[in-house]
Amino acid sequence: MLLVKQHIERDGSGYVTLRPQEDEDMWHAYNLIQEGDELRGSAVRRVTTESSTGSTSSHRVHLKLTIIVSKVLYSALAQSEQPSSSSSAAASGSTTPTETLTTAPTTGAASSTAGTATLHVSGKVSSENLHVKKGAFHTLDLEVGRDFTIIKQEGEWDSIARERIREVTEPGRGAEVGAIVCGEGLANICVITNHTTIIRQRIDVPTPRKRKGGTTALGADKAHSRFNQQVYAAVLRHFDFEQLKVLIIASPGFTKDAVYQYIMEEAVRTGNKQILQAKSKFLLLHSPSHHVHSLAQILSSPEISSQLKDTKFAQEGIMLDKFFKMLEENPLRAWYGESHVMKAAERGAIGKLLISDEIFRSPSVQRRKQFVKLVEDVKAYGGEVLIFSSMHESGQQLNQLTGIAALLTFPLDIEDVLEEERQEAEEKGVEVTEELS
Amino acid sequence: MSRHRIVKNLDLDDEMDDQAFDSEGEDYDDMTEEQQVQMSSALTAVHSVLGSATPITDREIRSALWDSYFDVDGTVAFLLDELHKKEAAKAKAEAKKLARQTSQPPSARSTRPSTPAGSKPSTSTAKAVPKATPLAGPVSSLRADLEGMNLLPSSSSSTASSAAASELMEVPVDNSPPPAIAMAKEKILEEVKERERSEKPVLSLVVVGHVDAGKSTLMGRVLHELGEISDRSVEQNQRQSQKMGKGSFAYAWTFDALEEERERGVTIDISLDTFSTSTKRFTLIDAPGHRDFIPNMISGAAQADTAVLVVDGSSGAFERGFEGGGQTREHAVLVRSLGVQQLVVAVNKLDAVNWSQTRFESIRSQLQPFLTQSGFQPTKVSFIPVGAMSGENLVERRELSLDWYEGRTLVEQLDSLDVPTRALDAPLRIPVSNVFKGQSATASGLAVSGRVESGIVQVGERLCALPGDESGAVRALEVDGELVPYAVAGVNATVFLSGIDPLHLNVGTVLCPPHQPVPVVSSFTAQIMVFDLKYPITAGYAVELFHHSRDIPATISSLDAVLDKTSGAVTKKNPRMLTKGSSARIHVQLRPPTSGASRRTTIPLESFAANKSMGRVLFRRGGETIAAGIVLDVIS
Repeated sequence: MLLVKQHIERDGSGYVTLRPQEDEDMWHAYNLIQEGDELRGSAVRRVTTESSTGSTSSHRVHLKLTIIVSKVLYSALAQSEQPSSSSSAAASGSTTPTETLTTAPTTGAASSTAGTATLHVSGKVSSENLHVKKGAFHTLDLEVGRDFTIIKQEGEWDSIARERIREVTEPGRGAEVGAIVCGEGLANICVITNHTTIIRQRIDVPTPRKRKGGTTALGADKAHSRFNQQVYAAVLRHFDFEQLKVLIIASPGFTKDAVYQYIMEEAVRTGNKQILQAKSKFLLLHSPSHHVHSLAQILSSPEISSQLKDTKFAQEGIMLDKFFKMLEENPLRAWYGESHVMKAAERGAIGKLLISDEIFRSPSVQRRKQFVKLVEDVKAYGGEVLIFSSMHESGQQLNQLTGIAALLTFPLDIEDVLEEERQEAEEKGVEVTEELS
Repeated sequence: MSRHRIVKNLDLDDEMDDQAFDSEGEDYDDMTEEQQVQMSSALTAVHSVLGSATPITDREIRSALWDSYFDVDGTVAFLLDELHKKEAAKAKAEAKKLARQTSQPPSARSTRPSTPAGSKPSTSTAKAVPKATPLAGPVSSLRADLEGMNLLPSSSSSTASSAAASELMEVPVDNSPPPAIAMAKEKILEEVKERERSEKPVLSLVVVGHVDAGKSTLMGRVLHELGEISDRSVEQNQRQSQKMGKGSFAYAWTFDALEEERERGVTIDISLDTFSTSTKRFTLIDAPGHRDFIPNMISGAAQADTAVLVVDGSSGAFERGFEGGGQTREHAVLVRSLGVQQLVVAVNKLDAVNWSQTRFESIRSQLQPFLTQSGFQPTKVSFIPVGAMSGENLVERRELSLDWYEGRTLVEQLDSLDVPTRALDAPLRIPVSNVFKGQSATASGLAVSGRVESGIVQVGERLCALPGDESGAVRALEVDGELVPYAVAGVNATVFLSGIDPLHLNVGTVLCPPHQPVPVVSSFTAQIMVFDLKYPITAGYAVELFHHSRDIPATISSLDAVLDKTSGAVTKKNPRMLTKGSSARIHVQLRPPTSGASRRTTIPLESFAANKSMGRVLFRRGGETIAAGIVLDVIS
């Protein structure tokens, strides 16, 4: 993302003009634009004019519109499907599980590599112009390459938002990693960037299993070769080997070897230089299952973390792993759930805070501020904060785990804390009654 | 015309021709010596396959062999096919005779083909009490339901009724419209009970154990010793495996037929076979032991009543399979949670430790407490020392050094297992474990195989494939390689379906009657037992849910309560996490295929109380089984 212009007042109001450059930037915009903000972007609107004789004519005009955001829709693959992960779903906050990630196309209906993510922002027009009246509804479609301006009210440009702006406008970031998570007759073709995991294609070729007496059923070989062909075609279609850092092929059993072998043989046969030159980028890993959610385990494997240790997804995976390990070893030092984590923070116990970006997309300003304060507090006393992207498998798993978790610096029993608070409340209550009497 | 042509033009159906050919005297005078040798060896091979009681004559076999250039398999298939045709024709004639005996002339019946009585020919023929009113006869409620719901194609009801009247038992092998249901359910139940007294009961058996314990080899050897597989195919496997430098895998190749399995020397997928002992018929399921293929093993174990746990008795190997990351523990726990109560532990490769009794006893003493703890009753677990490669103590005792052992042989032990009661009266449930295009000699077309978990399925019945909105008719049923008119709970059947798009049939689909569908749900509550796991289970834990052959991603959305292991009473509500060994009540939500998508994933599932075999689930994560449980309640 390119930072075109920025003006943020000391009180946290102001505007930022950004130019998205790649798909991932749409995800960042989605995280930056909140309900109630003003958004200015270019729009196309059909304007109907009525002549004096009563005949109407309509024409399309390109214009800049400013709207007050009331709804934000993010879609990783634009045209095909409408995702339910709108701001209305986010309204229920951490309790709604499994939002985001992507909408994947069915086999064959995949689109090209770039420009698949879009963001639809709708709301009332806030500044009148020649063609559009104030208060009229409009939906702005943000696209790669088109500038947009986010205008926030006082205090809304909080540290989290500013941090994100700083992070995403840094040039030269972004390691793109391809992943094929496969099993017998099944494959998920994924593209993983720093903040997003997008399933580009799912391949499902029904393969007949072994029959009685061990003979293979008719068509098993055919199904195998069809599967391999589809995977190869998907690799060609979805991966740009120049940008790709690593291409992971992961599966349980021997499928990964078979797939790798086929890709290489086919590349040699067709003389595909791109793939042959990228041979060193292929990485065969063991995966516990063919499901996409195994990506969390795959990405936190030592092979990956040694190669891509500074990437966000690797960090997230490792951090989540640490949390679960702590939960096993010393449950008093691993807490999760909003109220519990808040209590731990009050006591200054948080060493590492795991928090999902979904929480910061909450439509309630108060709630957002509460968490921004939490993050700032933890940072202030030297704690580490990792904001998980819910577009990654690890982030999704954190979302399931109430969206917030913490590793404490010292053991703290939640029962004790609750008990203490009850006592405090009682004492206060006694005081109050005493005063009253 | 040369002799070859004469042979080739022979019509096997025509006995007259055959005799004419025979009367010509000396056989195959233009056969070379080599061909004659081939002929005699092939003849014995065919005989061994067909058995001595076959009605197929030597002559027919010889000519068929000549036709197929001594291809034994092809010949057998061809001959059996012919035999079936003949039998069908005979049955047809008999049925006609029967039909004539009944008071109504066939013509009268065909004038009102749409009445239920007319479309239920079997009731009239079998009971020989034709009723005039449609409702008076023992019309199967099933049939009535189908008609009531307009599920039967209107055109076929007339053709099928008359066709079924004349072709009572004929099983269709072509693409003709499916036959009408031949028998009332009550009738089948009666027949099944009758048969139970006279025939051997069927028991399904899964073979599990750590990788390379010798599961496939052991069962390959057992099948060979029992004469279920021919010497010829064993020899063939031996030759081929030696060629690849894997001579010790010869018996395992009986099951490991996939190219990849043979190359790598591991079983990847389950394979099914059958054998019979003196009092029982067994459906044998050979399961893979490698940890990556546990999903396949679960799919096999879910179809089993009993299990053989094979452990490697050679020094160090048992410990490897039992301790740490070995599969012996996981498999034993898995089969127990899938409802297996009787377990036979085969301590294999004892030849490697000189048939040492101390070794056998030490393995027994290590395993016994673990198995008891896993929920096996000590009386239902037996330990048998065996040597798969030498065939020791499988069917008979050979080795003198094993004289310290006084118990049964493996096959004797299997023979003494109890047969569980089958849920015959429950609604039909067939969880599909394989979908393929059939190409056997007896039937072809779209076929699914799976175990009939409860109820009865018969030819002509209409079945729903869930999840989905498709239904198809049963065109033919195959059990143990033979066409049958119906199949009852407990057997592994291959169901040939017509009128259904193969796209809607997947591994994991459940077949059931349209009027008694399995609930299709996306969330449910379950009571689980937590196994040994790396990390404790929290709310929001991402898991893979296993139910029969289905394997789908799910989330443990909330932890309702921790339960007392023995009494089942709630000890703690809303726990923060579940640690190993605990028992709990949880809420499970299936993950949508892509989050944010409006489609929901669904699974056909029933509560354990409604149908035991449809209410067992397993949870896995990161390649380990973390919990097993039963479904308490489905939430639609």
